[in-house]
Amino acid sequence: MKIKVLCRNPDEYLRETKRDIHKVPRNYDPSLHPFEAAREYTRALNATKLERVFAKPFVGSLDGHKDGVHCLSKHPTSLSLVLSGSYDGEIRIWNLPKRSCVRSISGHAGYVRGLCFHPNGNYFFSCGDDKTIKQWNMATEDGVVEEPVNTILGKTIFHSMDHHWKENMFATCGQLVDVWDESRAEPVRSFSWGVDSIGSIKFNPTETHLLGATGSDRSIMLYDMRGSAPLRKVILKLRSNTIAWNPMEAFIFTAASEDYNLYTFDMRRLDMPLNIHMDHVSAVLDVDYSPTGKEFVSGSYDKTIRIFEVEKGRSREVYHTKRMQRVMCVKWSLDNKYLLSGSDEMNIRVWKARAAEKLGVLKPREREAFQYSDKIKEKFAHHPQVKRIARHRHVPKMIYNASKELKTIKASKKRKEANRRAHSKPGSVPHVPERKKPVVSEFE
Amino acid sequence: MEDRGKDSPRVGNKKAKSKKKKERKRYFDTPTDIEEFTPNFNKFFQKQRREVFRQRREQTKRTIGGVNNTDVIQTKSGPKSKKTSHLPNDVKEYLRKADPFPGDAPIPKDRMKKYRRGKKMNMDGIKTKHQEYDYKLKEKKLSLAVRQAARAELLLQEQAGFLEADEGEDTTQITQHDISESVDITSAQKFFELHLNQFGPYRMNYTRNGRHLLLGGQKGHVAAMDWQTKKLMCEMNVMETVQDVKWLHLETMFAVAQKQWTYIYDNQGIELHCLKMLDRVLRLEFLPYHFLLASSNAKGYLSYIDVSVGQKVAGCQTGLGRLDVMCSNPHNGIVHLGHSGGTVSLWSPNVKEPLVKMLCHGGGVRSIAVDKKGQYMATSGVDRYLKIWDMRTYKALQCYKIGAGANNLAFSQREMLAAGLGNIVQVYQDCCRVPVKSPYLSHRLPSSVQGLQFCPYEDVLGASHGVGFASLIIPGSGEANFDALEANPYQTKKQRRHAEVKMLLEKIQPEMITLDTSKLGQIDVKSLEQKIEERNKLLFLKPQNLDFEPKYKMKGRSKTKRLEQRKKGVREERKKDIIREGVARKQKQSQQQKQSELRTGSTSVLDRFKRTDRDT
Repeated sequence: MKIKVLCRNPDEYLRETKRDIHKVPRNYDPSLHPFEAAREYTRALNATKLERVFAKPFVGSLDGHKDGVHCLSKHPTSLSLVLSGSYDGEIRIWNLPKRSCVRSISGHAGYVRGLCFHPNGNYFFSCGDDKTIKQWNMATEDGVVEEPVNTILGKTIFHSMDHHWKENMFATCGQLVDVWDESRAEPVRSFSWGVDSIGSIKFNPTETHLLGATGSDRSIMLYDMRGSAPLRKVILKLRSNTIAWNPMEAFIFTAASEDYNLYTFDMRRLDMPLNIHMDHVSAVLDVDYSPTGKEFVSGSYDKTIRIFEVEKGRSREVYHTKRMQRVMCVKWSLDNKYLLSGSDEMNIRVWKARAAEKLGVLKPREREAFQYSDKIKEKFAHHPQVKRIARHRHVPKMIYNASKELKTIKASKKRKEANRRAHSKPGSVPHVPERKKPVVSEFE
Repeated sequence: MEDRGKDSPRVGNKKAKSKKKKERKRYFDTPTDIEEFTPNFNKFFQKQRREVFRQRREQTKRTIGGVNNTDVIQTKSGPKSKKTSHLPNDVKEYLRKADPFPGDAPIPKDRMKKYRRGKKMNMDGIKTKHQEYDYKLKEKKLSLAVRQAARAELLLQEQAGFLEADEGEDTTQITQHDISESVDITSAQKFFELHLNQFGPYRMNYTRNGRHLLLGGQKGHVAAMDWQTKKLMCEMNVMETVQDVKWLHLETMFAVAQKQWTYIYDNQGIELHCLKMLDRVLRLEFLPYHFLLASSNAKGYLSYIDVSVGQKVAGCQTGLGRLDVMCSNPHNGIVHLGHSGGTVSLWSPNVKEPLVKMLCHGGGVRSIAVDKKGQYMATSGVDRYLKIWDMRTYKALQCYKIGAGANNLAFSQREMLAAGLGNIVQVYQDCCRVPVKSPYLSHRLPSSVQGLQFCPYEDVLGASHGVGFASLIIPGSGEANFDALEANPYQTKKQRRHAEVKMLLEKIQPEMITLDTSKLGQIDVKSLEQKIEERNKLLFLKPQNLDFEPKYKMKGRSKTKRLEQRKKGVREERKKDIIREGVARKQKQSQQQKQSELRTGSTSVLDRFKRTDRDT
């Protein structure tokens, strides 16, 4: 008779000393793990619920401005420094980790319209309603009244400015688009294209000679700094307030429009936007890309900021507080973790880019658990219950009602068109793609 | 085939020539520079691997072609020697030292199959390249996971037990005493008997990790113990009839079905709850992943209680009489009930009627057991049959006629079936797929069997009977390797607490109990279609408004009476319209039908004698 009976040696299954970790023998045989799908689903559901529980995106606010914040600028090399300019002409330099104001400068008479850093971060420029461009040093001695290093007097009011990403050049816009050399008092080059007012201007971070600008004639214009004439122009149905270039894809930019939407364009094909990002219920005032180029943040007149994924038409997140007013400017921090928003009611707010993310250093097991729950959420994302919980956001009543109204408006328009098509001669009411509708015309 | 064999070295030579041409260009191609050669070592591995694959392919082709093996070996060695002959000696040295079995070790197919969850995805309908890439990547990851899981079997520490008889002998003849004498001391201690002749027929239950044992005598004796160390946790007399006992999710709590109500005690024997929702219960079943305590009572009422929140989840009057045969399917959480008419009904808490009702026996059903994977169900009836059923087709696979019929059945983790025949316990091995002639082991008890259960993760069968309890050694019955995250026999207190929290977090809602457990992972195709249909309707058809809302007219003209009149008139008119339309449509249809009949009418000669409606 041959016999073997299961007999386990406890020493192999128990830890030797109290300081050891417990032994956890595994057996991956599926028959030992019943209800696999149901348990995984429960885990996914719990993870989704916990994500909503831990979604506390507001980190803090920087207050000190005596009037609404009009523009923000990120320091190119330091994560902790941020510039802000307000309606009363004050410029402040903030230390983000300390959430304190490092310096305040009374820079301009009237609005501070634009702020930009030199790429090495040692000095910055500001322009304002007083028709001046001023250059300021970052390093100062204490107790000295702040004086600009350099002041340039322009002929007209400047609406916005941006610095070249590599060279000592910057561009301003107002009645004209001017490109300036830092060492000269006159613009190197001026562009005009039948518009009396250009609202914003941005340098392309990759193709550094390219400029994008938005005009008051509902146009988005592209310029090459090297040429004498502007490159291209597209006219939309409503005015764009500003654009933001995708830092990872040189051809792509997103425009924040007055018609509550954002339009992502490919620079080479302006006749149709790549994507329309809907969700705001009022004019979008500012937009900024994340350094990964996969997402962007937008601030709107409806007192919210929203985060969009570049390929998606709907926002993944909406941030609002009771006291935040019209959001004039938003920025995505260069470590891809925080957002900054400057709003009408004199505050700058710091938000987390991912609302439920845990701040600080993660232990390896913690990180693993987060990764697991992320993956499992992704796996079960299409289950109705999970989807419902993940999508649910509490928004102010005004926005809730407005979005509902917009939805009915859109549905009724669609219905009307469909009915018209159904009752007219076939082919006489053509199908126009939704993406083609906002574009009026394109010029070369 | 022979031509091919001749061809292949020639091809090899060609390749070698081209290689030589390339090699001539190399500036370091001198024997002293062989150290420089090492970066290309991978290439040689590759080459070797390719060679091995080629040989294998050829070999299989040859064997299919019907050439004998010696030929294969000759041809196999032929090209290889020629191929390596042109290489420099140092390289040959490397090749000799190189791994003769390059790449990962092969995994047996059946082992891969064990860990595979379903077929590969069909990539036909994918629209974009990116999606296809994503799905391919996912598929790759899944197959990697399967391979890793299969390979991780190497790390399993224990091997399952077995019992082999000598030649001319049968395992049935081997007694428990023989076994306990020939195994080691710790295993021998697992065979023991408890003589409890006062409090009459006993019911029993093991915990999920197989460490603890619960005994309940019909005359009120309840005892919980760690049966391996023989340490008694609590013992008491509840001074009432005890019908059934069951551990809850951990060894800290158990439920006892007493004469009137069901009670929950902790492992010290302190009464925690009296569940008055469960009255006159005869059998208890606990679904650990759902935290559901299912109970069937004498009046035919089946009820589910969620023990994590203490609330009744579902209950229904089965109307099938006294329910004293009950069993749960560990694979999908469905409760099986056996009835006196010979039927077995399957219940879930979500449906008030049986999901399945199958006629299993000519007489009443005495016992049911379902195996771990939920594939087989064993039933025994008053008609003295023991039947094995396939739970996918609900058809009988095997049908055994046993002496007096089995009054108790239990499946082990490795698909052994124990049956209590009066006071004899018989264990069958592999009785589901193929018919067996004789039992694997058998044991006689002092009194008739009242409860049977294989101890999880041990080679032990517990049998409670009229005058006590017997723990029998059944080699090869238990799963050898436990998964500590599912059930851990060597759990410490802290681990137990941690596991409890995890279990509670992962509690499966009772709505998810279905016959097909994979349903949750599948795509809800029908509702998606419905959705699209609905959307289409919304976009292109103006929603019909049957309720007419009259416009507000000038003062005096929109009195309520008139309003109502107008409304009524419009409604009537619309109704008439609809009816008219319907009638017109029907007429048109019937006309068309007639026409088509005339056109394609059958051409039999006798058709003209047929009576038509027009004639009448």
